[in-house]
Amino acid sequence: MADYKIEEVKSFDYERPEIKNGYTDQTLYVNLSDDAIAVKPVAEKTKQTFIGGRGYNLWLLWRAVSADTKWDDADNAVCIASGPLGGTPVYPGSGKSIVATLSPLTGSVMDSNVGGYFGPYLKFSGFDALEIQGKSDDEMIVFVDGVEGRIHLFKSEGLPDDAYALSSALTEHFAKGKPRNISVVSAGPGAKNTLMGCLNFSWYDNKRKRARYKQAGRGGIGTVFCNKGIKALVARWDSVTLDTNSPADKEALKEVGKLHSREIVALDPKQNEMSVIGTTHIVTIMNDYDTLPTHNFRYGSHPEAPNLGQAVYRRIFDPGFDGCWMGCTVACSHGIKDFVPMTGPYAGKKVFVDGPEYETVAGCGSNLGIFDALAVVEMNFYCDAYGLDTISVGTSIAFVMECYEMGLIDASHTGGLELYFGNRLAALELLHQMARGEGFGKIVGQGVRRMKTTFARDYGADEKILTDIGMESKGLEFSEYMTKESLAQQGGYGLALKGPQHDEAWLIFLDMVHKLFPTFDDKAEALHWFPMFRTWFSLCGLCKLPWNDIVPEDNKDTDEPAKVMKHIQWYARYFSSVTGRKVSADDLIPMSEAVYNFQRIFNLRMGYGRRAHDTLPYRAVGPVTELEYESRQQRYDEVLKDQFKLDIADKSIAEKVALLRENREAEYRKLTDAVYKRRGWTSDGIPTQATAKRLGIDFPEVLDVLKQAGVDR
Amino acid sequence: MITVGGQQLPWSEGMTIADILADLDDGNQYAVVRVNDQYVSRPNFGKTRVPDGAQVFLIPMIAGG
Repeated sequence: MADYKIEEVKSFDYERPEIKNGYTDQTLYVNLSDDAIAVKPVAEKTKQTFIGGRGYNLWLLWRAVSADTKWDDADNAVCIASGPLGGTPVYPGSGKSIVATLSPLTGSVMDSNVGGYFGPYLKFSGFDALEIQGKSDDEMIVFVDGVEGRIHLFKSEGLPDDAYALSSALTEHFAKGKPRNISVVSAGPGAKNTLMGCLNFSWYDNKRKRARYKQAGRGGIGTVFCNKGIKALVARWDSVTLDTNSPADKEALKEVGKLHSREIVALDPKQNEMSVIGTTHIVTIMNDYDTLPTHNFRYGSHPEAPNLGQAVYRRIFDPGFDGCWMGCTVACSHGIKDFVPMTGPYAGKKVFVDGPEYETVAGCGSNLGIFDALAVVEMNFYCDAYGLDTISVGTSIAFVMECYEMGLIDASHTGGLELYFGNRLAALELLHQMARGEGFGKIVGQGVRRMKTTFARDYGADEKILTDIGMESKGLEFSEYMTKESLAQQGGYGLALKGPQHDEAWLIFLDMVHKLFPTFDDKAEALHWFPMFRTWFSLCGLCKLPWNDIVPEDNKDTDEPAKVMKHIQWYARYFSSVTGRKVSADDLIPMSEAVYNFQRIFNLRMGYGRRAHDTLPYRAVGPVTELEYESRQQRYDEVLKDQFKLDIADKSIAEKVALLRENREAEYRKLTDAVYKRRGWTSDGIPTQATAKRLGIDFPEVLDVLKQAGVDR
Repeated sequence: MITVGGQQLPWSEGMTIADILADLDDGNQYAVVRVNDQYVSRPNFGKTRVPDGAQVFLIPMIAGG
């Protein structure tokens, strides 16, 4: 390893507060412009309204920025928080960190959640959240040493650029012989040279004796991190027990934690085997139901998709216990050891690859027409090491491949890269260029929205077709589900706060296959309830997988199987036992609703958050081309005849494509109306003052934003 | 014999997943079934034969990412 230098710029001693019922009731503030370090108390009103996690991040960010702040302004903040339940070792999925910032891709608020140990270690070190403002010309390391009760700012030189080597180097540097006490947050060169940078959050794998990592992928948070001059964040904490989070009722917590943990141990082997194959089982299932994106979301299945499915990854994942937080029995964070990349700076060297998960397999595999599992693993490895979001990378490369095949761009634009679907070496070379900020990769690294402008303005490409096939909404690239046949999932993507990411409302299977939302009202209700409940996990520092990926055996016989009410009741008990705030299952949605609406109003404040921003590219709604229509002609003909009651006997394919588009776009508008109404918003998608008051977010500055938008009631 | 959701059932030559589910009261609820290590979705239930001795797991729901 090259020599490196880490030099202290400032240190700040603090008295670590006793954690009480999952909270420290203070946050840590760092400004890299002037090396300021401060501890801020959390007001009781903030705690009651925003709960923690994403809620705290949004409140800190709201106060840090103004309506004019841009992502690369010094005032923009990167906020990271756990949550009151975060760091609990006996309840599965309790180690999530949540990150928020103003996004370079969307210009508005972005949130992303991630495993690893940083969030819990930050809290146990004395802080419910960390807020970093300002910028430095140096490569800065912020070290939160909870063991010593000291914050250090270091400037560094000569450390590795990529997250794979950097996580290891810093873990070793700060560990003092106990690497499990260290968690590192880092990005990488790709985050610096594109707008789609991710953050890597590490944890130490004792069995394999190595630092491993998970990613806060979406929206370019890693790009903001690099723009601030942050090389890494490091947290140090010692042992974690049930008492570390100081639960209000330890016995009740043990009891409910045991119930959920044991159920997972008993049922995961009978259900999705996530502790063996992660989320890779979803690949072939989506393929079977024509919802696996292939060839830039043109189609939903491909005969070679099983080459990317669980049967392959079952063989190549390194067996072992792979929880990204202590004691999590889902343990789905699998990896591949002794992988040897064929390209790039690690070509020919053995590396450990964390992943892949479903989204990466679909985004960097099927959606690029690449059905080679090892090529996907290599894309996964380099995206992580470079600090790039596998979803935005996959969806962006899929877009340029379709543009290339359609003749909208050619080799003179791509620097000679022949970017046809399935060309894995070209895809990998493009990824390396993106990380270096060179060649055509520099353009692709700006994301789909900016590429559409560049291709139309500079290359003369047809703007209308670019709009139809460029898979972004609000500036964020789509995650990896093909939504043409699920109106509810179209809403799940188009009406999401930050853009088309499935963590808010993954309804595609419940809607399309289980047929649980047959009417508009059913879909609108689902697009209220599911985003709200999923938000709750991000307030508390939890992973959503234990909620509904492994379900009780009698769940199917309950009134609302999609909600998995038994688990929701357990979550209410979990929340009560840690925080001492007695809640029932019915109380969880209003908690999220306050934060969810606040985030919507935050979007409005930043110039977004209206109906005009909740749009979708038509590729997400129906077939753009005649070729797509013809590939599923029987299905689309039936939709026109049976659902829309149209006589299509004499219609050409082109006419049928147009008719389907007219009717499906009308349905999406109708759904939008129904969802806005259900959420208590105006017809322009803005929460009313009455909604803000009902939810307790009627702060004067919030009401000012609504009034300025013309919402006076 | 095969095992379906923990219950032992007699096996017959040519038996498909659709045949097994047809004999269950709630067989129409399942969109995905696992036969040993293989995940099979409803569109393929009728054409997927179940071998003798198979462990058949009825996957209650696919909840996704």
